[in-house]
Amino acid sequence: MLTLLIIGLVLAAVVAGLGTALSVQRRAQALDELATSSGPLSAAAQQIYRSLSSADATATSAFLSGGREPSELRESYLTDIAAAQSALAVAVAAREPADVTAPDSPLATLSGQISVYTGLVDTARAVNQQGLPLGAAYQREASYLMRSQLLPAAEALYRAETGNVGAGQDRASGFPFLELAFGVLALAALVAAQLYLRRRTRRVFNLGLLAATLAALVSLVWVLVASTAASADVGRSRDNGSTQSDVLARARIAALTARADETLTLVARGSGDDFEKHYQDTSGHLGGAEGGLLAEARALATTSEVREHVDEAIAQRRNWSAAHEDIRQADSGGDYRAAVDITIGSGEAATSFAAVDSALAAAIDNTTASFDDEIGQARNALTGAVAAVVVLAVIMAASAVLGLWQRLKEYR
Amino acid sequence: MRTLFGKAGVAALGLVVTLLAAGCGADDTAVPPARPAAAALPQPEGAGVVTEVPEADSQPDCGDPTASLRPRRGVPSPGRFASGSTMARIVADGKLIVGVDQNTYRFGFRDPLTGDIEGFDIDMARAIAEALFGDRDRVQLKVLTSEQRIPALRDGDVDIVIRTMTINCERLADVDFSTVYYQAGQRVLVKSNSGYTGMDSLGGKKVCATEGSTSLRNIAESPAGPVPVQVADWTDCLVMLQQNQVEAISTDDTILAGLTAQDPFTTVVGEPLHAEPYGIAFPKGHEDFVRFVNGVLDRMRSDGTWKALYDKWVAALLGPAPQPPSARYRD
Repeated sequence: MLTLLIIGLVLAAVVAGLGTALSVQRRAQALDELATSSGPLSAAAQQIYRSLSSADATATSAFLSGGREPSELRESYLTDIAAAQSALAVAVAAREPADVTAPDSPLATLSGQISVYTGLVDTARAVNQQGLPLGAAYQREASYLMRSQLLPAAEALYRAETGNVGAGQDRASGFPFLELAFGVLALAALVAAQLYLRRRTRRVFNLGLLAATLAALVSLVWVLVASTAASADVGRSRDNGSTQSDVLARARIAALTARADETLTLVARGSGDDFEKHYQDTSGHLGGAEGGLLAEARALATTSEVREHVDEAIAQRRNWSAAHEDIRQADSGGDYRAAVDITIGSGEAATSFAAVDSALAAAIDNTTASFDDEIGQARNALTGAVAAVVVLAVIMAASAVLGLWQRLKEYR
Repeated sequence: MRTLFGKAGVAALGLVVTLLAAGCGADDTAVPPARPAAAALPQPEGAGVVTEVPEADSQPDCGDPTASLRPRRGVPSPGRFASGSTMARIVADGKLIVGVDQNTYRFGFRDPLTGDIEGFDIDMARAIAEALFGDRDRVQLKVLTSEQRIPALRDGDVDIVIRTMTINCERLADVDFSTVYYQAGQRVLVKSNSGYTGMDSLGGKKVCATEGSTSLRNIAESPAGPVPVQVADWTDCLVMLQQNQVEAISTDDTILAGLTAQDPFTTVVGEPLHAEPYGIAFPKGHEDFVRFVNGVLDRMRSDGTWKALYDKWVAALLGPAPQPPSARYRD
């Protein structure tokens, strides 16, 4: 009978230790992925989406400047394209090759069409510099390619990668039910064994089994404390990090899209009503103090730095809207040149848009840092937990065997 | 399984886990053979083959639409107009407000280098300002799209419209026209080395025009049977021609002239398919001003000003100046 008890207890210890270690390991794995894979990939996807939106807005502004194109605009356009391409290389490298070659997949569209887009922009630029209206048609075609294919693909990729981050956070932040169950199982087995021994031998304590119980208890408490702390960190990585980053990134992209609409309306010269309509839609989506993405970001902000950046973006957004009204008034009043002057260079629309963009960029830097920080803390909390659980399980099994072995010898 | 058994777990749990993990083979990341990706062919927004062109609205019959009001004998000197006349009112306002185009190269277009609107139509406006004020710069140009022309005249936003506007009976119900100041015709623009000689040689080939234009309808109705392709803007047609997505563009030779000026490897070919007489448009009820402008046009035809404008803007593209379009009157 005692032999059976020994075998049963060793099995319980092994099962409980193995199960607990695996559960903790699973959580640690999810955290590793957040820190080293899905987190960086979602940042890369965001960079592709943002850089392409920015390239579109910058290219149309540069086009409007025509022969007077400032060198900063050209540089900033080339930087956007380079940033999009290097982030795309990161995204491609992380995927299976089949994902990249599948026709119509976001990565296939992005890797196939960015060079077509830049070709059209450069044709538009060259033709425009000869003073030919044809340049505007190429610029519109380039923007159409960007808006009908590249940006939707970038958005799909971004959604997929942020979805992975959310799923990873879910995996890393659940309550440790399994760990609790395994720990309780081990404790119950040990307590039951001790009660049984007490009835059979009239000895109150068995040192080996006591040590095993202590090991099981320490293991359970360790795992519960570490997992709960990690869960809380992951929750904060969501509230202080990824949720805000997502809203801020979407606000930034909406601002860039509205900016491209604003300039395209002037590029289209008199037939830009559709672009102006799209500006109004995007602009409403971006919103301000009362509603839209900016207000949402303001409500979600958890630190004073982020709140200040968002407030700055909202204030500059108001200036930009006013400048946009001036542009429309000048353009529909026939004063095209005044409209262009407000729109580009040191014009009010150009400077206040740039201020909105950089305020949102600063806020995103902030929330991204919070995300990395919280995930790092969660990983620290779990450090050593797996090893500890295994060692404690071994101690538990060994002391139980030793304790019972002694009893067995006495009775022989 | 592999995600469950990470490297730390394998090391720590020893034999049991090693055995379990051994069951899961190394995952297979063989690189599939690269397939050739389809070449990307970007198109202008809204470009497409037209399958059905709406029927032309039946034109009301108004006799000869190009017959305009006969000028009084002798054009009055600048600034000396009978009080109460439209001319006196405009002179009192200090400027002539003219609705123009900014997208038709050589007729009304914005020079990207200077930002100014220039062209044949713009110089016509300046000639009228010269006759009104003795100063060709007293013009305020107001950019209009095709659809905005008649409403702008009706609402009094502009005094006149000079914007490649074809005279027809339908429009005469809403506005008045001067005599014909330019006789345009629908022709065909092709690549110089293409061998096409006109619409007749374009059967089954794609031919481009803007959405809703009479040119598009004329392409669709051509007996040669070309395939009409529509776009939003005339320059979009040239983009498609340069990208080898259409074989030809067909519309008024004035617009084609502007396109060929932007691509020296294209030529205008064939006989005019359709006549498009351009006139200056006025709001209804300004008959004195119509007669005055017709007088100015008469003078421009006879004193060589018209030919000088043609030579300046159009001759290099469409060949030497023809006779100025002759004026027809209905008193």
